[in-house]
Amino acid sequence: MTNNAEEQELAKLELTARLSLIEAMIAEGRQTTERWGWTFVLWGVAYYVAIAWATWGHSNFAWPVTMVGTGILTGVIASRIGGKQPETTMGRAIWAIWLAVGISLFVFCLSASTAGRIDQQTFIAAVAVMLGTANAASSIILKWGAQFFFALVWWTAAAISCFATVAQSSIVFLSAIFLGQIVFGSYMMISEAREKKGRERKSGAAHA
Amino acid sequence: MPEPGIEPESGLPELNPVIHGKLRLALLSLLSTVEEAEFTWLRAKTNSTDGNLGAQLLKLEEAGYVAVEKKFVLRKPQTLYRMTVSGRQALTDYVQALKQLLGSAINV
Repeated sequence: MTNNAEEQELAKLELTARLSLIEAMIAEGRQTTERWGWTFVLWGVAYYVAIAWATWGHSNFAWPVTMVGTGILTGVIASRIGGKQPETTMGRAIWAIWLAVGISLFVFCLSASTAGRIDQQTFIAAVAVMLGTANAASSIILKWGAQFFFALVWWTAAAISCFATVAQSSIVFLSAIFLGQIVFGSYMMISEAREKKGRERKSGAAHA
Repeated sequence: MPEPGIEPESGLPELNPVIHGKLRLALLSLLSTVEEAEFTWLRAKTNSTDGNLGAQLLKLEEAGYVAVEKKFVLRKPQTLYRMTVSGRQALTDYVQALKQLLGSAINV
């Protein structure tokens, strides 16, 4: 091989390495290390606490106090565990959906229950349909079929609640919380832990 | 006076020497995927030292490819880097040039 051909080959290799570097860094940057599975479990538990408090404590403050408290707790934990993560457009889009749905639910439920113009079935249907909306929108952004399934769970609960008795709608709501929050949140946490492990293994190999 | 970089063959595009540096290229590629990123996140992703990372980010900042924002969060200093519009354009142009050069290299 002549010197000129060798030089060309080296230049080609260097350019290919640069292109690979760009691809690798873009893939690295897009890898989300954000973990949100715990929020689903936390809010699932919060719904159960609010239901138990409202049922046995007969308090009008049960829902608003539990929801605001859980919102603050979510903010504090999220800022502690996710403070170093960069903001992505996708992350902001999902955050926007959940924040908007959360505020909408809070305003609607607080106003409707204070005015006394809402029965239990309607309350459950409103909460369930909004949670279905947020899950569906997130799943479409993330292209995540599993989350869309849980959106269907919420929508089904909303639809059933419109036709069911108070007792039936309560059972449907409790079941939907269990599936849509506790089961989905736990599944998400397991997936996130597996993903993290896989990334660490891959990263270790890359730096070896 | 042209800055040192990869010498192109006649008719082929020249590679931007500011972006061509390995660490600077890695940083711009990373920043193209996020809205803004902390110094510590960039350091972890590129596996680089504070000094080298700071120097390369400064070069990108001087070229107008990244914007820096310094603030305090919970009394802790935080330095955030964001890719500018010209930085995104420069990276796009660099990738196009790279592909053209590689195409010509493959055709040799």
